[in-house]
Amino acid sequence: MSTAGRTTTAGRTRPTGMKIATIVAGAVITLLLAIPLAVQVITAFRGPFLPFGVSSAKWSVDNFVTLWELREDFWSVLGSTAVFVGGSTIISLLLAFGLAWVTVRTDIPFRRVISVLVVVPFIIPPIVKAQAYQLMLSPESGVLNQLLRLLPGDLVIDPYSFATMTVVQSLTNVTFPFLMIVPILTSMDGSLEESARVSGASWGQTLRRVTLPMLWPGLLGVAVLTGILGLGSLEIPLLFGQEAGKDIFALKLWNLISAGAGELPQYGLAAAWGCVFLVITTIAFVIYLRATRSAERRASISGKGFRPTTMKLGGWKAPVLLAIFVFVLLTAVLPMFALLWSAITPYPIAFSFEALATQTHFTAFGEVLADGEFWASLGRTLLIAAASATIACVAATVLAYGIARGRRTPGARAMDLFASSSVAIPAVIAGFAMFLTFLVINPVIPLAGTIAALVIAYSYRVSIAYRSSYSATLQIRKELEEAAVVSGASPLEGFRRIVTPLLMPTVFAVWIQMFILGTNEFTLPAFLATPESRPLSVYMYAMISPRSAQLYQPDQGAAMALIFTLLVFLIGYGLQWAVSLRAIGRARRRSAIPGLGARTAAPSNEPPAPATRAVAAQELEEQRELAGR
Amino acid sequence: MTTAAHGGGRLVVDGLEKQYELDGGAVPVVKGVSFTIEPGTFTSLLGPSGCGKTTTLRCVAGLETSNGGRITLDDKVLSTGTEHMPPDKRDVGMVFQNYAIWPHMTVFANAVFPLQVSSGKLPKKEARARAMEALELVQLDAYANRPATALSGGQQQRLALARALAHRPRLLLLDEPLSNLDAKLRDTMRNELRSLQQRLGITALYVTHDQSEALSMSDRVAVMNQGRIVQEAAPRDLYYRPADRFVADFVGRVNMIPAVVRERGGAGEVLVEAFGTRLATPCPDGVGIGDEVTVTFRPESVRWHETAPDRPNLLPARVVRVEFLGEIVEYEAQILAGETVVGTIVARGAPLDSPANGSEIVLELAPHACRVLAG
Repeated sequence: MSTAGRTTTAGRTRPTGMKIATIVAGAVITLLLAIPLAVQVITAFRGPFLPFGVSSAKWSVDNFVTLWELREDFWSVLGSTAVFVGGSTIISLLLAFGLAWVTVRTDIPFRRVISVLVVVPFIIPPIVKAQAYQLMLSPESGVLNQLLRLLPGDLVIDPYSFATMTVVQSLTNVTFPFLMIVPILTSMDGSLEESARVSGASWGQTLRRVTLPMLWPGLLGVAVLTGILGLGSLEIPLLFGQEAGKDIFALKLWNLISAGAGELPQYGLAAAWGCVFLVITTIAFVIYLRATRSAERRASISGKGFRPTTMKLGGWKAPVLLAIFVFVLLTAVLPMFALLWSAITPYPIAFSFEALATQTHFTAFGEVLADGEFWASLGRTLLIAAASATIACVAATVLAYGIARGRRTPGARAMDLFASSSVAIPAVIAGFAMFLTFLVINPVIPLAGTIAALVIAYSYRVSIAYRSSYSATLQIRKELEEAAVVSGASPLEGFRRIVTPLLMPTVFAVWIQMFILGTNEFTLPAFLATPESRPLSVYMYAMISPRSAQLYQPDQGAAMALIFTLLVFLIGYGLQWAVSLRAIGRARRRSAIPGLGARTAAPSNEPPAPATRAVAAQELEEQRELAGR
Repeated sequence: MTTAAHGGGRLVVDGLEKQYELDGGAVPVVKGVSFTIEPGTFTSLLGPSGCGKTTTLRCVAGLETSNGGRITLDDKVLSTGTEHMPPDKRDVGMVFQNYAIWPHMTVFANAVFPLQVSSGKLPKKEARARAMEALELVQLDAYANRPATALSGGQQQRLALARALAHRPRLLLLDEPLSNLDAKLRDTMRNELRSLQQRLGITALYVTHDQSEALSMSDRVAVMNQGRIVQEAAPRDLYYRPADRFVADFVGRVNMIPAVVRERGGAGEVLVEAFGTRLATPCPDGVGIGDEVTVTFRPESVRWHETAPDRPNLLPARVVRVEFLGEIVEYEAQILAGETVVGTIVARGAPLDSPANGSEIVLELAPHACRVLAG
């Protein structure tokens, strides 16, 4: 060859540096997900009680035999879990769909306010919500039961009935399906509905015959994810289930490994339980994959994304607004009020103005703020959440880019599936499997109970970041990178200057989301943390749980919950604000090219195209739309 | 404007081969394509979708790695079957079908990019001057500080062109750059693009499926079909002397009449029998008496008369359809032999001078407008 420089033999699509990064990211994600699950499965087959690393353990199916011998217990757990998870998922979905429908597809007033109010509970840590509901439902002093007494009839809600627990679980989990259903409804092609209407179908018929069948796969996918989320969370079962006397799977797993005095924790049996439920969630995951694939197919049939037509509520406006008011009351206002009341009263007393005047004090807040352990666990919370969000986002983005842009080899396809699969692992199983893993590797790599262990465990939610980065990469048209290379940029320069800035908004958004999830996390640290490494959520649980005798300080727990929520709120919004500020700043910097001012002012020989302003206005509108969501 | 600094290189593509690996094995999409573009000239690859024209262009750009054949730009070897220079070292500019304007940058940042990255890196000041010069070329210098997304489609198109020219490449590659514009803008851009190319003297390779684009802008047009170049010629030759039925049919509208060669005429012409009568046409090489051939002629080459003039190649006909298309009128006429219909011809003419529907007329096919294709 007569030329100098890099030459390649056939088939170069990405720089080798990128390829290596992709492989490293893939390996990190594989280790993160595969090893804990493998340890759990092996533990299930090593008996009888201890993890497989222990020398006295031997291969056996004893754990499954025990599971079978205790089948009455097994069926009862399975049954109550099914009712609990299924019931709460259905209620959550109905509420979420209703709310999403009302905000997206009707002419309800205060649309923006409503969608914000529905999303706010997302940043309240679930353990705080669980605690708040417990306070609010207290038969004597609970604010909800107090309100119900004002109504005619002798209605008192029993906080520790199975039905209450199911409803409470569904109320705490509405935001997640809501956030997933809104885009499904928004992106729906309105012309399909319009053509049904033009064909003579009424609103109801259109909904039944066109809209719902079209949305069905998408909604099924949301249902599966909500169900897995519900199955995996420990908060409500832990706070309500013990007293309700129902063994929900998450609680069962928890009880098996937190053995009482003099007993051995039954790791093997717990692992067997975990395996059974992992099979169930895997089946659910397959359903989810098929549903989303089918949803994508349907989406691709539809034409341009017109804004869907909105339904006129007419006389229904007032009742719908009232229903939303009750929902907000139940999910945000009353829980917060109950927490506040609990924080300012020395022991559980019913709300009255007399009590407000005589018995309240704010010392609990002062005690919390003076508590060194509070600040230490807050610091750990932020550290763990930030570190795990960073690990997950970096690994996921690199892998997603590599897979989205690489060749669709069977290996790449398998990796894609695997990296998406952590949504199928309920948090309790992940927590337990991670717990076992750190126990087993502890002699070699002593991580058990450390902050590092928590960081690794939190990162298991990597699929969230992976899916977002993957679709964001697909949205960056390949020509944009090719244009960079043809312009003389090396592939790495192209990646740095074109791909990275275009991916960044998505990655930042996902990072913030994962960071907030991390600060809210309770289930994973419940399995993994020690008093030296515990984050705020676990410390707070210790304060409100009567079992932890020496720490039991319900008023401080409530005060801490409020401070915690406020902090998460401030941090979440602060980050979002900082990111948007940064974006604006960057745009300003970019546009400020020195020495061009005079030219810009000079008259152009072409008047600004009318299209220009229209395009800009349209984009602004779209951004507003997005922000509104 | 220092346009003299541009200038073009000589591109030689020789025996280019490209296969795509699909599940079922290798699918060849470019099968031995060869052509040469002389410095400063404009060549179009014209063909239906899937003919391999874009793949050929992308192989020249280096975005696809060819499986065989040699590509050189002046004395620089861009690609052999086994070794490929990376696209960033090839010193080409490229305009993409959907512009590929980077949405996160301003107009200026888009244009200056090629002058900031490794291959074409210039000192800051010089890069700025050059980028502004490129923007001036396409009259976008007043928009330099705008976000690139605030441009209209036509402006984005011009920005893509400025970016492709900023580093003064010796070869400009254009992949259906006008197909996303509306009809009127497309005509304007076509003229601008051509005059810019001529002013800069840059060598251009243009890919399109639109024959009017290819014919109006190019010095040479290479028609591709199923991975091969079927004919490469100047636009006029291509149009009036298509090499085969595919080219005749793809480039413009054409009448194709089966005929048999009957006798030699004067001045290199033959007389063929078609529509039961004798027509004089130019004679290509290798055609003998008795051969079955196809006579082709363009609809607009057909003239009509109310009464027969004293010239050869006349066909009595009846008008059965007249369609007003604005700038022209298209009409369909049945060729008559006595009262029998022996064939149909589509003709085009000026709207103010068109035959009435149902009228009986005489069609004239001037011999020099006809072309005989074997088979």
